[in-house]
Amino acid sequence: MGKLDVKMDKSSGTLNIHMAGTIDEDVDFTQLNLIDAQEIDLELSGVKSINSCGIREWIKWMATNKNAKIKFNQCPKVIVDQINMVDGFLPKNGKVSSFFVPYYNDNSGSEKDILFRYGTEFTEGDVKPPTEIKDDQGNEMEMDIIESKYFKFIKR
Amino acid sequence: MKKLGLSLRYKILILLTLIPLITLSVYMVVALRIFEQDKIAYVFDSTSNMSSSMGNQMKTQLNSILSSCKPIFQDYLYEKAFTKVSENIFKNEFFLDLVTVYKWSGLERKYQKMALLEKDPQMFETSYQPISEQINQYLLEMYGQSRAVKMPFHDDRLMLLEKFVDPVSNETLIFVVVSKLSETAEVFRSALSQRLYLVAGDGSIFFGPEDEKEKNINNVFTAPFLKDGTTNVSQGAQTGKDSFGKEILASFSRVGFGELMVISTVDRAKALTAIQILLRKSLIFFVILIAITAIVSLIASGSITRALTSLFDATQKVSQGDFNIRVKVDSSDEVGALADNFNIMAAEVSRLLLQTAEKARMENELQTARTVQETLFPENNAKVGPLSISGFYEPASECGGDWWHYCEVGGNKIFLWIGDATGHGAPAALITSAAKSASTIIEQLNISPAKAMELLNRAIYDVSKGRIMMTFFLACYDPTTGELTYSNASHEAPYLMKKSGHDLTKNDLMPLNEVNNPRLGQARDTLYAQTSVRLEPGEMVFFFTDGISDIQNPGSEAWGERKFIKALVQANQDFPGPTESVRRFSQAFQEHRQGALLIDDVTFFIVKNEGIDIEGKTHG
Repeated sequence: MGKLDVKMDKSSGTLNIHMAGTIDEDVDFTQLNLIDAQEIDLELSGVKSINSCGIREWIKWMATNKNAKIKFNQCPKVIVDQINMVDGFLPKNGKVSSFFVPYYNDNSGSEKDILFRYGTEFTEGDVKPPTEIKDDQGNEMEMDIIESKYFKFIKR
Repeated sequence: MKKLGLSLRYKILILLTLIPLITLSVYMVVALRIFEQDKIAYVFDSTSNMSSSMGNQMKTQLNSILSSCKPIFQDYLYEKAFTKVSENIFKNEFFLDLVTVYKWSGLERKYQKMALLEKDPQMFETSYQPISEQINQYLLEMYGQSRAVKMPFHDDRLMLLEKFVDPVSNETLIFVVVSKLSETAEVFRSALSQRLYLVAGDGSIFFGPEDEKEKNINNVFTAPFLKDGTTNVSQGAQTGKDSFGKEILASFSRVGFGELMVISTVDRAKALTAIQILLRKSLIFFVILIAITAIVSLIASGSITRALTSLFDATQKVSQGDFNIRVKVDSSDEVGALADNFNIMAAEVSRLLLQTAEKARMENELQTARTVQETLFPENNAKVGPLSISGFYEPASECGGDWWHYCEVGGNKIFLWIGDATGHGAPAALITSAAKSASTIIEQLNISPAKAMELLNRAIYDVSKGRIMMTFFLACYDPTTGELTYSNASHEAPYLMKKSGHDLTKNDLMPLNEVNNPRLGQARDTLYAQTSVRLEPGEMVFFFTDGISDIQNPGSEAWGERKFIKALVQANQDFPGPTESVRRFSQAFQEHRQGALLIDDVTFFIVKNEGIDIEGKTHG
């Protein structure tokens, strides 16, 4: 698979797919068969980048199974950005179960990714961020995003 | 090209000829020297054996003569005369010519003949009387010695002198025996391989070769053993020189009878004749060998240099720019491999030249395409109705996949276009060209952004057949309503920079993302939604493509969204004019970029509502 490392495991009717690396024009999703799966759990925390050609291949791949329930787990910022920007990147049968929100402190330069989970930090149409996030030195951190843009997929 | 010196072929020829020539010459000199020394040793050994053998033979023969004469001597010593016994013995010994006795006369102070035995009655008178003075001299020389051998006749006869002192009368008697040694003399005369001499102590030659005219050996040749009188040495061999200066090999052996010595000589040149023959034959062999070597070398070097000559000619053509030349060499050695490599190299150079020419042609075409594509873009700075517009565009390669545009539609509406085709380069640029063409028609239709997006989508889809897509954001500002209506095809949502009575902050950035639909070209019949937002006087909108946050510095470190947003806020915190805003923002990312190559096209433009409507009145 080149620059993208994919591990697939089908157990108890759920197809678990773990991805790490870069999604670009070199990715051959035709080798990753989704057709017979009823439920698909995508674990995407290792995805580092995705370009426009990779998006095109992703959308084609997602369209190969429009009936399965697809969960997007531990989505990094690059995935969340594409979900927000590209119509179809998160298919209609797909749901985000959890995603990372980058935090930072401008003074100390510290950065941290906080996992937002469905039912805890967000629900349908609503986001309940943690009241306070601090770095290792105890500095209060703020979201390193434009909230109205980053959480758009939740409110859509 | 460097001037050619001596041909490689001749160098190989000289090398292959010189090596055996030098080797054989050295071998011949060493071998001949060893052979010469061995031959001389052999000759010395041979002549020494000869001289020693002849010496022993002479000694035996002389002793035999004296032994035969012993009864005669005894007879005289007893009878004071030769009796019948002596006469009978004398007659029976055929080799005895004469026996005579001399007695020393004290009164006359000379030897007097006392008795005589002779084979021929007149022998003494005829042969000995003429040399009586010489014989007397011999007798006188016997003083201090008991035995002597003389050669007064210059023929085969030897004279033996034996001295006795009578114990009764105390008289000194000398017996003189003349004996003929014809057979022995013949041996000395007729020796073939070497020259034999029987020589007395003073050098007188008793017997010698037939042709020898000299009477003294010192006149025949000189050698150390003749000069230093090495009497203690009974036998030896030395080199000497004859009267003509020629080298000779001489061996000597003392007879052990008086000072007699047998000398055997051999002309050194004759002794070494075999070496001369060997040398001549060797030289002939050498000449033949060198000739064969030269011919073989010519043939061998010809086959080598022929291939090299072909290579040389080929390299000359290459130096003149002809890379299509190929060398035909059949050999499978290093030269063959060199020729093969040359052919591969020439073919590779030809291919690279063609490739370079093709690349140059393509670059030329791309440059043309870039020039053409630049015509698709509007002026960077413009004032359209109440909107001031300023933009920036830089493709990552010759042609880009980004496109932006602005135009007036329906008299007073202002359409703002920005899109990003999948990937970048020539294919993406072709799609932007299609988008531009479609926009030219759409501008005439006075339709909504959503409808315009549908038409644009069909145009892109029909051109790319779903292979290349395009994110797109289309906005329409209506000065009469102050609303900005937009439709989005999965493009980066532009930021509306809201005025809130203070300097711009991050929280004042409002992404225009209320509607979103699939990218252009993804499906032919996609419908697009649109929505409106108010664009108040003084407010600005930042349109961009995703290449901005991907801008990298020379260390491949991406600028990132945080710095992008921060730079955007800082550049516009006092809501400057679009031109100044673009300048500030560009400066920010160029500081990060530090001249590094772009990995994606960078496009953005800023629109500011200057608050002046079409009648020239100021809003708000």
